Amino acid sequence: MSLKKAVAAEEAVVLLRTRICNPNFIFSLFNDSSDSNYSKLKFIVSSSVTEACNNSILLLGPRGCGKIAVLDLVLEDLLKEYPEMISVIKLNGLLHCDDNCAIKEIARQLCIEHELMFSKMASFDDNSQFMIDMLRECGLAHKTVIFVLDEFDLFAQGKQRLLYSLLDAMQSVSSQAVVIGVSCRLDADQLLEKRVRSRFSHRKLLFLPPQKEDLQRLAKYILLLPTDSSLPPDYVLEFNSRISNILADKRLIEVIDKLSDSDSTFSNFLRFLFSAVSYIDLKTGLMTLDNFKSALSTIHRQPKLDCLKDCSILELYIMVCMKRLEVKEQESYNFNSVMKEYKTIHDSFQTSDNYSRSVCLRAFEHLLERQLIEFADRGHNQSIEFRSVKLLIAPSELHQGLKSNRSCPAILQKLMES
Amino acid sequence: MAETTPKKLKQTPLKSQQSPKTPFPQTPSQQTLTPVTERRRSSRFISPPTTLKTSKTSKTTLEKTNLKKNLDSSFSAFSPLSPDRTDTKKRKHASSVKAKTAKVPKAKKRVYYKKVSYDGGEFAIGDDVYVKRREDEANSDNEDPEVEECRICFKVGRNVMVECDECLGGFHLKCLKPPLRAVPDGEWICGYCEGRKAGKEVALPNGKKWRRTAKEKLLSSDLWAVRIESLWKEIDGSFWFRGRWYIIPEETAAGRQPHNLKRELYRTNDIADNEMETVLRHCYVMTPNEYAKAVNEGDDVFLCEYEYDVKYHSFKRIAEIDNNEEDDGEAEHDEDWSCNEDSESESDDDIEYEKEDKLKLVQGSTPAHAVAANSRMGRTFGLQKIGVKKIPEHVRSHKQTELEKAKATLLLATLPKSLPCRTKEMEEITAFIKGAICDDQCLGRCLYIHGVPGTGKTMSVLSVMRTLRSEVDAGITKPYSFVEINGLKLATPENIYRVIYEALTGHRVSWKKALNLLNDRFSNGIKSSKHDDRPCILLIDELDLLVTRSQSVLYNILDWPTKPDSKLIVIGIANTMDLPEKLLPRISSRMGIQRLCFAPYNYMQLQEIIGCRLKGIDAFEKQAIEFASRKVAAVSGDARRALEICRRAAELMDYRVKNSTSLPKTGKALVGMSEVEAAIQEMFQAPHIQVMRSCSKLGKVFLAAMVHELYKTGMSETTFEKLAQTVSCLCTSNGITFPGWDTLLRIGCKLGESRIVLCESGASHRLQKLQLNFPSDDVSFALKDSKDLPWLTKYM
Repeated sequence: MSLKKAVAAEEAVVLLRTRICNPNFIFSLFNDSSDSNYSKLKFIVSSSVTEACNNSILLLGPRGCGKIAVLDLVLEDLLKEYPEMISVIKLNGLLHCDDNCAIKEIARQLCIEHELMFSKMASFDDNSQFMIDMLRECGLAHKTVIFVLDEFDLFAQGKQRLLYSLLDAMQSVSSQAVVIGVSCRLDADQLLEKRVRSRFSHRKLLFLPPQKEDLQRLAKYILLLPTDSSLPPDYVLEFNSRISNILADKRLIEVIDKLSDSDSTFSNFLRFLFSAVSYIDLKTGLMTLDNFKSALSTIHRQPKLDCLKDCSILELYIMVCMKRLEVKEQESYNFNSVMKEYKTIHDSFQTSDNYSRSVCLRAFEHLLERQLIEFADRGHNQSIEFRSVKLLIAPSELHQGLKSNRSCPAILQKLMES
Repeated sequence: MAETTPKKLKQTPLKSQQSPKTPFPQTPSQQTLTPVTERRRSSRFISPPTTLKTSKTSKTTLEKTNLKKNLDSSFSAFSPLSPDRTDTKKRKHASSVKAKTAKVPKAKKRVYYKKVSYDGGEFAIGDDVYVKRREDEANSDNEDPEVEECRICFKVGRNVMVECDECLGGFHLKCLKPPLRAVPDGEWICGYCEGRKAGKEVALPNGKKWRRTAKEKLLSSDLWAVRIESLWKEIDGSFWFRGRWYIIPEETAAGRQPHNLKRELYRTNDIADNEMETVLRHCYVMTPNEYAKAVNEGDDVFLCEYEYDVKYHSFKRIAEIDNNEEDDGEAEHDEDWSCNEDSESESDDDIEYEKEDKLKLVQGSTPAHAVAANSRMGRTFGLQKIGVKKIPEHVRSHKQTELEKAKATLLLATLPKSLPCRTKEMEEITAFIKGAICDDQCLGRCLYIHGVPGTGKTMSVLSVMRTLRSEVDAGITKPYSFVEINGLKLATPENIYRVIYEALTGHRVSWKKALNLLNDRFSNGIKSSKHDDRPCILLIDELDLLVTRSQSVLYNILDWPTKPDSKLIVIGIANTMDLPEKLLPRISSRMGIQRLCFAPYNYMQLQEIIGCRLKGIDAFEKQAIEFASRKVAAVSGDARRALEICRRAAELMDYRVKNSTSLPKTGKALVGMSEVEAAIQEMFQAPHIQVMRSCSKLGKVFLAAMVHELYKTGMSETTFEKLAQTVSCLCTSNGITFPGWDTLLRIGCKLGESRIVLCESGASHRLQKLQLNFPSDDVSFALKDSKDLPWLTKYM
């Protein structure tokens, strides 16, 4: 019996995970209303396909709000709706911000799309001529070419040759193309040069993080298991009733609020759900509130504090010394001045932790590696002892860290408070 | 090396122009005697056998063709040299497209083949064939002897024959006097020709009238040879092929030259679609190497070493693909034209060009034989296969609503019927160009046109050029050449020389060589071909992109017009008004004399432009247009912007109409103020306020703290440490738990990503510098009435 249940639970977890990782599943929830970005975008693109016109669209919004996911959904639908009439060229600003390589990539994808031979040797001129010829040829054949430029802001560096030639090619009757720029920078269209901006048709779609009600809806949509699946029906029933209970629970709403207080995007919420699902105990096969709580704590890591937790005593000493120097309004300090401070502390309090200079230097280097402290200057010719450094951790944070560190000597806490 | 022969050719006087001589002599004696010099077949270029196809097109296509022609003039960089050539080609293209669109039933489609069995023969891509010139060809010479007869005994026989190198007549070895034992090495000339050379009248043996072979007909222009580039079956079941013409030396502009061999042909870059009906049979055109090694006994073997450019009347050696790939430097001179020996020549019977097969074939072919589509030296092939298999529903029968009509006519790509508001400037440009080219001396001149984007600079110049070209066609104005270049489309500024030279002559050379040649032409006055004495108009768009550090490119280009017989007219277009002043004095003195300013449109003009496009379409309220044009005129005066706003407004309306069921779909939906307002909002307003409103709770606190810090210190820049302290103050005094430094840092980085806040990378942690990217008033406005954090207003 329990074995059967465990199998069912495993299957359910796999199902939930695939759902969470599948953006098409997630964003199809929000497609139905006419206000959604999905239907707006689909209308613009499909009308450009059917009416044979050129358009350029910018999808803006913070990261993790589903710009690419919605776009993919739209493209998938359109490819189904108008087979053989659309070819999609995808570029990414991180990979193809250089005009030369971008246009080569366009030529390559066009070649693959239309089963032509592609030569790596072709020059910039050849490739751009090829692109223009292809655009004309596709236009005559009633084919729409859709250019998706991810990280659009990175294409707007330099002379913007690529954007200019793309948008200028779209000024002719025979071409039939849609340029879709995707960017998380809200001022992406301001980055365009005047003559490029004038050719851009400035359709803008804004993607915003979801509201709280949407998150609730989404959680329900994802977590409730389907009744018509291969899972045993009584298990599904039990699982679903448990989920509905938890979702109605005030404590869970609190948890979700806490999560979305800092970051309310889709991607963050999905990451949270994924880890919550991963915490399911396969023996019982049911979700509990604790799963969500531990998921929240894995999401909300405090890397600097965690770092302080594992610091050695000597490292803590060094940081406290640096803090004391800063309190004394000594703006610039280096290893030597820190050592002097360390000596005075040792002399005045007679601590047991007296280490030699070379050991201290090693600890100092460790701190540098962990980026708890940082060189203030860019000079590389000096040796480490003489270069001025800065503490990268705030005093209050350091204090909190000392408290959480179990091996921290009492004298250090006292020094910190003074 | 490759260039020497063609150059010699070009300088020889042209015999061919004068006389359309009598049709071909029928008596054998004359036939062998006359060296054929006329350009008899030249009519082919004007009315190729494609008439079969063109006749199918309806009147509507012709209209479309005209439009195409106009457009063509604006895109093809080089038009008036031989307008009818490009036109026929274009027409063919347009009509073929139309033919496709017009009659293709839904399910059927064109099927492409590699190899076709037709009328008893097998024809594959890459084969060379004879093509009948006339419909009645078959009647004039009914027999088509595949085997040549002996000139003396008029029998075919199985005996060995030797061919005279002069008259190409065949002789049985035993029929000769004295009889030969074996075929002699080297040249051999028959007794008749020798006698003729010596000045004697020689009577050929008179037997029965001998029949001309296909070879002779070809060499006397009664047949054509063609290389098959692709084969397909139309929907109606007829087979078609696309062929590349061969021509005999007599048909080139230079005529037959002494060094031309008897069996020499030139391959052209002229391509036409024909029905398979017209194909006679195979012939074999070979490169010199192949020709030397050829074992084909037949009569239908020809030699082809050069390619002839029908547009520029120039010759290029047909380079081997292999050489070309190994040696790129040489490839600049020797254009690669043997593109047909590629993957497609290997063939199985009747392979359909279905997707998978094709892909396999393309991949499977050896790299040496594969020629990429994107590196054909500016010419692309194989694109004809792109066409859709099925003509989409919406293209065929779709009744456009008023809104859709409005959207279509507001497209930037649509060429308006008339260009309002720029008559004065266009007159000025016309006067400038006419003044420059109509002068007998044709002194070179320079015009600098400037204006903000979207004020119709390029469009005006191009429309002036179109009217001028129609005048040239009508014979009112002298012919000229026109080269259009866009600075932003050049890989480097120096490339402009190459582009100019290619547009003028059709040759591709490196930019340094092009510079030398252009210098020769423009400043030293060395004209290498007869077209060179035409005035040349050079339109350089986005001129500011040509500015290099030494400014030598601009200097060279602007210096040429000052030379006495350059006949070069430069029109430069750029956005900045003071570009000449920013340049070196020696350049600005050459460029800055004649200037033309395109002022931004005012709202009346914008209104007129939009109204002119929307004439006859009832889709917009009048105030809506006025509102849009006033708004744009106030911001930039960019006509593109105004058109886009109107189009977007129409789109929004269309969206609303199509989505709502309550509105009657048949009823008129006028685009009103609200739609235009929405479109303007979308275009001009940055979306930051909406994004700030939908920020996470702590993000809002973060922004509020930024504003608070700004007010407190008066400094726009702050560090993360100070900000975190402020945030913790705000949090503790308003009963929110402080999220911790690390979370706060993450929030800050998120805001920095969308550029609401400008910040350094997160690695510098508490020393990270932060600054608001938008005015603090915007932030306070956005956060003013947030429901979950009503206390935020206190701090702003």
